[in-house]
Amino acid sequence: MDYKYIEQLIERYFACETTLQEEQILRSFFSQGNVPSNLSEYADLFRYESSESNIHLGEEFDARMMELVERKSGMKNKVVSIRGKFTPLFKAAAIVAIVLTIGNAAEQSIGNRPSEGFDDVTAINPYIKKDNISAAIKVKDNTQAETKTVVKSDSLLIENND
Amino acid sequence: MDFQHDILPLKDIIFRTALRITMNREESEDIVQDILLKLWQQRDELETVSNLEAFALTSARNLAIDRISKHEQKNISLIEETHDREDVWQMSAHDCMERDERQSNIASAIATLPEKQRTVLQLRDIEGKAYKEIAEIIGITESDVKVNLFRARGFLKEKLNFLKRDK
Repeated sequence: MDYKYIEQLIERYFACETTLQEEQILRSFFSQGNVPSNLSEYADLFRYESSESNIHLGEEFDARMMELVERKSGMKNKVVSIRGKFTPLFKAAAIVAIVLTIGNAAEQSIGNRPSEGFDDVTAINPYIKKDNISAAIKVKDNTQAETKTVVKSDSLLIENND
Repeated sequence: MDFQHDILPLKDIIFRTALRITMNREESEDIVQDILLKLWQQRDELETVSNLEAFALTSARNLAIDRISKHEQKNISLIEETHDREDVWQMSAHDCMERDERQSNIASAIATLPEKQRTVLQLRDIEGKAYKEIAEIIGITESDVKVNLFRARGFLKEKLNFLKRDK
């Protein structure tokens, strides 16, 4: 049998001139039993190449990987579901916080209005005795009365001068 | 993107590539696990990636090289010497106990190659990848892929001739 073609392919293989198909022909040729003695040294190489492509990871590895991936995906889903579960609560809390803030701000703005009369004094210091307040009102009234008298006497004087 | 249909089928090619670099089964399995989980976690961003397998292999290679360099640093600090090529030869031969002796010799010879040549050889002669795709995975030009492959195959040819004379 003429093995010239195979010999040429081997030569081209080591020169990196073979195509993927030609390299596959070499592997197929050497995987069969009848290999001429002059090419026997190459048989080990091409048989080795064929056998190496059959190395696989078993089903045990697959099962372990699937379990790992499911565990990781499960953890991710759990985080999402917890977040989803508490979303309405967070919304309610935010609304309450807004209402409280607005209410507080409104209350403060009403409380800071300019004071009028003595009512605010009692509001600020409720311990001021009512008697003292009425005394203060009397003093104020007396002062106003005195002013009026002075004005009156002045007008009398003017009248007298005329 | 579905894990079982789109990501999990990449496990074997990632494993074989990582195994060629680390030459350690346990470490390679760990790399596959890390890469597959990473792909799953980044699945939304990966929708735009045109070649998911090439992306996964690039990541796996980078991770495998990183793990090797970490182990080498550890070894240097412990025994204050690096493994020479002969050590790797012995280690790899030991790992290939189940194969026959001649197959082990091939495995051992490949194990002595520099990492880039080893990975190029793996992707071309075992995974059957085109030069263009190998260039994309490793991040080098197609002509550099050919140069690395030429050196790797040339080295193996010498070894095979040496083994024949030795018989």
